[in-house]
Amino acid sequence: MKRFLPAALLVLTGSALLRVSLLSDLYLRYVKEGLRPFLIICGAVLLLLGAADALLHLRGTDADGTGHPEHDEGEHEDHGHAHSGSGLRAAWLLAVPALLLLVAAPPALGSYTVARDGSGTIAKRTTFPPLPPQATLGLSLTDFTTRAVWDDKESLKGRTVHLQGFVTPEPGGAWQLSRVIVSCCAADARVVKVEIHGVTAPAADTWVTVTGTWRTATRAQPPALDATGLTVIPQPTHPYRDTPPSPQP
Amino acid sequence: MTEETTTTVRAAENVPRRTEEPRRAGPGAWLGLLVRIVGALLVGGFALVFVGTAALVAGPDLLASLDDPAFQAWRTVLVAVALQGMPFLLLGTVLSAAIGAFVPDRVLSRLLPRNPALAVPIAGAAGAILPGCECASVPVAASLIRRGVAPAAALAFLLSAPAVNPVVLVATSIAFPGRPEMVIARLLASLATSVVMGWLWLRAGRPEWLRLAPAPRRGEGGSRLEAFRRGLQHDFLHAGGFLVLGAAAAATFNVAVPPSLLQTFAGSPWLSVPLLGALAVILSICSEADAFVAASLSGFSPTSRLAFMVVGPMVDLKLIALQAGTFGRAFAARFSSATFSTAVLCSALVGWWLL
Repeated sequence: MKRFLPAALLVLTGSALLRVSLLSDLYLRYVKEGLRPFLIICGAVLLLLGAADALLHLRGTDADGTGHPEHDEGEHEDHGHAHSGSGLRAAWLLAVPALLLLVAAPPALGSYTVARDGSGTIAKRTTFPPLPPQATLGLSLTDFTTRAVWDDKESLKGRTVHLQGFVTPEPGGAWQLSRVIVSCCAADARVVKVEIHGVTAPAADTWVTVTGTWRTATRAQPPALDATGLTVIPQPTHPYRDTPPSPQP
Repeated sequence: MTEETTTTVRAAENVPRRTEEPRRAGPGAWLGLLVRIVGALLVGGFALVFVGTAALVAGPDLLASLDDPAFQAWRTVLVAVALQGMPFLLLGTVLSAAIGAFVPDRVLSRLLPRNPALAVPIAGAAGAILPGCECASVPVAASLIRRGVAPAAALAFLLSAPAVNPVVLVATSIAFPGRPEMVIARLLASLATSVVMGWLWLRAGRPEWLRLAPAPRRGEGGSRLEAFRRGLQHDFLHAGGFLVLGAAAAATFNVAVPPSLLQTFAGSPWLSVPLLGALAVILSICSEADAFVAASLSGFSPTSRLAFMVVGPMVDLKLIALQAGTFGRAFAARFSSATFSTAVLCSALVGWWLL
């Protein structure tokens, strides 16, 4: 049985990679979009490697032991590792993320990450293209917060905007509309948030579109919005891509 | 029992299995197999009962703690780090297995100058040709050493490859728009660190610290392709386990260290350099993405952000785990701490000069 362990781990890892990248969009909860082709290739290669290894072993036992001498050698080498006892002892750990991805894919980072982030600093920008003249504007949270904090001409003043994100409750009944932004993988998550006044918050991590106007008086971070409307929306496929909401009816 | 004796005999005298095979088909072997299967079922049954009872007793509490948001975030970050490292690790192990199986002995060492002190800077500059992040460079460096490249040169390559390749430099220039000096500073500080570390290994390194796993033997009946396949499988499984270990450590720190803690140190220009270096170690961000995180650390001085970008690709938790798995623990501990100090020092000097 032990001989099939490497094959089993390779097949498990390969199918986990393919499950989240080829068969679904789950990989977007963990890594950036551009990694998809690499994940698919990697999953396919691992699956092939595992299948090849299993086949060679099976043929080795059936067909008169032709495959055996080499494989026995291979196992002895594993045991002969001076530095870590067995080369495959650590390999067991590969089963952890693989099983998680196959059985219980962890959710995208949400309100817990936002609530812990104490800084929420907003990167400085100096040039702002003029906003289109529509009555209500769909803005990304990044665009809204940067304009609110750094735009000296106060282009947001008096404008009604739609913003999209998920709910992060704050102690004392207040809440924030927030997003997590990822450049490569969830370990490098950054947070962007807007304080919402005027409407009561749905449950934490609910995705919503909020309509309202910028609370001009304060230049505080995070910026604040006086909300007039709120719609619950399904979680977007790209949870970490901070896009402006599509025009609303 | 027959089978046990057969194996001992074979191991002791190295008798080819082929001659033993017909004897296995006897009734004794079948009985032995039956005994083994029943035994396995019994052991498995006990284990199942034990696990089942434990699950029934502790189940509800356990399920509740599974929903704990901190534990959820931990799992997400663990899976994310492992997932994004895997394609690069596979790339690295494919390269390293190819070097092991197809590149003849001594060819690589002939490409480099014989004098290791000269080979170090050349190997460091050669790091620019391996596009990818740090997960790929560890197995490649290991196979270079096995193929006869001076360890000092291979280590310089190991450190510089994830930091100075075009992909990473372009990402840096995108993350710091209008500040090309940041890209140049990163390139110079990373190259300097890798070359200094290579020379340091020449002066102070001991061969016995490096405990490389022996390469899967090639030849001896198996084709080169078979050697490649076995090398690839062995390296990937071995290093993959350590990648997951490092990802778990990174996820733990990611969830356990409150980010607000950082802001308290932002004000001190000199303390913030090693501090952001340490942050790079515990966050274990891929070298292609760390520039974006460095750019977002807006409260900190440019030099400390440079330290973040120089240390990150060379020393971080998942790299330490990978190195411990590939080169041995004694090496990883010494090498990582020396690299950390050198990288912080080089960033401080280059930052003081350029930024």
